[in-house]
Amino acid sequence: MTPWLDCSPAALLLSLEVAGVVLVLFLVAGIALGYALSQPIPFRNLLDALVSLPLVFPPIAIGFFLLMLFGRHGVIGDPLHQYLDWDLVFSFPALVMAAFIAGLPLVVKPIQSAIEGSARELIEVSYTLGKGRLETLFLVVIPVVRRHIAAGLTLGVGRSFGEVGMTLMLGGNILGSTETLSLAIYNQVLDGNFACATRLSILLGALSLGLFLLLRRLGRL
Amino acid sequence: MPCLDADLEFRRAAFRLAARIRVPETGITALVGPSGCGKTTLLRLLAGLERPMSGCIRHGERVWFDQGQRIDLPPRHRRAGLMFQDYALFPHLSVARNVAYGQPHGDGEGEVRVWLDRLQLQTFAERRPHALSGGQKQRVALARALASRPEVLLLDEPFSAVDLGLRQSLRLLFQEVVAERALPTVLVTHDLDDVRHLADRVGVLIAGELRQFGPTSEVFSHPLDVEVAQVLGWDNRLPVSGCEGGWARGDWGRLRLNGSCSSGFPEHIAIRPHGPSLTDGTGLSVEIARVTDMGGYRVLLCRLPDRTALRIHLPSDQHPPALGVQTRLRVPDDCIVPLPAPALGAAIPASAFT
Repeated sequence: MTPWLDCSPAALLLSLEVAGVVLVLFLVAGIALGYALSQPIPFRNLLDALVSLPLVFPPIAIGFFLLMLFGRHGVIGDPLHQYLDWDLVFSFPALVMAAFIAGLPLVVKPIQSAIEGSARELIEVSYTLGKGRLETLFLVVIPVVRRHIAAGLTLGVGRSFGEVGMTLMLGGNILGSTETLSLAIYNQVLDGNFACATRLSILLGALSLGLFLLLRRLGRL
Repeated sequence: MPCLDADLEFRRAAFRLAARIRVPETGITALVGPSGCGKTTLLRLLAGLERPMSGCIRHGERVWFDQGQRIDLPPRHRRAGLMFQDYALFPHLSVARNVAYGQPHGDGEGEVRVWLDRLQLQTFAERRPHALSGGQKQRVALARALASRPEVLLLDEPFSAVDLGLRQSLRLLFQEVVAERALPTVLVTHDLDDVRHLADRVGVLIAGELRQFGPTSEVFSHPLDVEVAQVLGWDNRLPVSGCEGGWARGDWGRLRLNGSCSSGFPEHIAIRPHGPSLTDGTGLSVEIARVTDMGGYRVLLCRLPDRTALRIHLPSDQHPPALGVQTRLRVPDDCIVPLPAPALGAAIPASAFT
């Protein structure tokens, strides 16, 4: 019998690395965007729509548009290649971008709704007591909505673990290089290796569950 | 402390608020009005939590908001201590840290301790807000607002969440503390007892319009129109259908007014509960529907011929009439207040603010 970790070990490591990086990005961008979207800022509706887009738009289609933008001949990818000699697509940053975009609305929305609900009055009190936006964010918002932050991170990282469509388009599914755990399951099924696909699926489920329990516990602190 | 002046207009969807208000440097100014009339919105506009469409807000020489000059000080620079209806205490902080939250930099723990002692909160200092009673939360919110050294105090229904017994002691405490600090204070409340006990001046806000403003006793005894009278608890209101030779009449009967009605007659009249008396002579024909003993006096519920109810206060030493008895009610003309129809959009005279 094949040992558990012998089925695409690089994919497991890669997924964990991607998850680690997006967790940090979610923590920063999720809180900042959730806070910003709950305030009367210019272009709020546009920003809200952009953040929410991955919830309603098919990931494979978003992945395709991003590929067109960031590909070697894309509007953004071309100057990146020409002037910085850097290709985003089919690289680790592309995997991070796919996971980040897919999971971002799931992180932002719970935080935004908590700030607009239970935290709104507390934020206003903080302002009237002489505190600015940044002080209020750290002294009031984050402590008050920490459970929603934990819930958002759980959903976001869980979503990024399972991301396939965008990852396939931007990462290219290159074995040993951009093959994440979800793509490895897909590849194992295509190869007819159902035993490995089963193990990897259980592993992915266990990782997501573990993360869920960990973040839930952190949110309770 | 300088006084707070505001003359502003605010719109949100179909709601429009237009108010001019002057809050003197001392004493408490109350704002009353029916639900949804804009009391809390006015408080939020003063605090900088909502932006007026036009107008200006000044605190002494300092401009907080001026649409023309494009000045709009953010709430943190206005130094207005706002006490929310449900207190809005920070749930993750202890009582002491809640009180210390708004302290200007440089103030030590001493100031916090002073307020905790002053409002008898020292024994709860390390508790979180969820472990406090309504009255304790109210005191923490007041201590927090005062410890931030505000230049203006804005209070939104501060006693609505506490029971009647506690309310009286909190009112006294509150009155004492506010008088001590000599701050321009605005109190928004539904409770007319709060206004009578605490406020030196009162503004009546109806459908987004400040209809009447002035000293509390003056506004309560001479409501400007029938809607103001309703807000101020004048229950005895009678519609007037005509007036001849100083006599106002309606389906309820007729009453002599203090003055003639040659230049027109009021839409309603209001009758003070204290003053009218039962008589065998001339007066309004009434049937005694209920008698309630209030201790020092009795409340008679009298039904007029058109079934309108009048509540009259009768001294306890007077013999209470039997229920269902038809009798006469003598109403002295000084117990009758003429109530014109509301003059919508009419500006409050400047003298009301001096």
